[in-house]
Amino acid sequence: MESIHVIIADRSQLVRLGLTGILYRTGLSLTIREVSEPDKFIHSLQKEHNGLLITSRSFVSACSTEAVKYVQNNRHRFYNVIIEDIECGPYNDIPCNERIYLNDSERTIYRKLQKYMQQLSDHGDQDRAGEEISQREKDVLKLVALGMTNKEIAEKLFISSHTVISHRKNITAKLGIKTIAGLTVYALINKLISAEDIK
Amino acid sequence: MLFQPNMKMADVIHTNYHLLQIISRFGINLGFGDKNIKQVCQDHGIDVDFFLEIVNSYHHINYFPRKHLQGFSLELIVDYLRKSHEYYLKLKIPEIAQLLIDLTRIPDPAAGTSFQLINRFFNEYRTELEVHIQREEDKVYPYVFMVEKAYLDKAAHKDIIDRIRQYSIDDYEKEHDNVEDKLLDLKNILIKYLPVPVDPRLSQSVLFELFRLEADLRDHARIEEKILVPKVRFMEKWLFENYSA
Repeated sequence: MESIHVIIADRSQLVRLGLTGILYRTGLSLTIREVSEPDKFIHSLQKEHNGLLITSRSFVSACSTEAVKYVQNNRHRFYNVIIEDIECGPYNDIPCNERIYLNDSERTIYRKLQKYMQQLSDHGDQDRAGEEISQREKDVLKLVALGMTNKEIAEKLFISSHTVISHRKNITAKLGIKTIAGLTVYALINKLISAEDIK
Repeated sequence: MLFQPNMKMADVIHTNYHLLQIISRFGINLGFGDKNIKQVCQDHGIDVDFFLEIVNSYHHINYFPRKHLQGFSLELIVDYLRKSHEYYLKLKIPEIAQLLIDLTRIPDPAAGTSFQLINRFFNEYRTELEVHIQREEDKVYPYVFMVEKAYLDKAAHKDIIDRIRQYSIDDYEKEHDNVEDKLLDLKNILIKYLPVPVDPRLSQSVLFELFRLEADLRDHARIEEKILVPKVRFMEKWLFENYSA
């Protein structure tokens, strides 16, 4: 499973530490980048392709208009969460996907962030897990299990190496098995190949 | 809360029972009464600061040791890492292997083959892990000691600088190869694809052990990353700055 990229941008060490702690306790695999200086905000945004962006009202107001604009223009890349001091909206001035309040309980914060995780798995590879593998994928899997290289498989099935690679990615996503040895065991258990084949 | 020298050793275990195996790796056995961490460490001739760095790094995923620049010798760290290697290879892995052998002892011959496959797969994993560990012991640790010696003697021969240039601790960290993949696959095969076992409890024990091993290896890697690597990186940098001219 790929790790989720998170940027936590706030000047308060307490807030950053607290959020990091809560996030780690979800048990998800995360790569967290902390930003404490408004000046460095835009730079760290440019480093990430997408992910969860958690920042606060006070931090945003300390950022340059250029940085604020950058966030707006890249809304498709980041799931933007704003930390507010207290719950007494309506706050329409800073658009975002979600708001968390400093007095939110851990559970509430978790529930709010879960929306994002849900979205990720709706779009991501993960919804492939548990899906049946197609006949074509089975053909590829058989040959992988027999120890053939991508190039050999491509020649045998009259497809491009690129297609073989894409099939292999899908197989791994669906079965949750990555290594060749693991795929071979799967193929044997499911009788796609027999033990004699690999001798 | 971080573990402190004056905390009772018993409370360490109450806080996180997984630390039990870490403590035993230090040669500390149960029955220490109400002694605090410092006293127990003294009794066993263990550097208490080092002990605390290890348990804190294990218990607090975000804990970042700050003492690595001064503190203890690499000897101490490597000795600990070696002990945990021994724990995996001599204790944990054989235990799991035995459970898997027990799993194959079922009357149904058709399903039996599948379980044998799992056994073979696990043995491949075992070999990979052994190779990985052997490489650390044969290649990485001697390198690390060489760097430390040059740093302490404040004398770096040109050879050493060349060696750092060729293969630094960061290179080692990069090629920290992925033995985990096989473990993940093994778990998925056991969970999803094996025929229904005759003894479900046995399969559950195997899985439980595999999850434990995985978590433990991950923690082990964290110790290397947080304690060993930064210390060596610091010494490499110092040597480079002072002797590479």
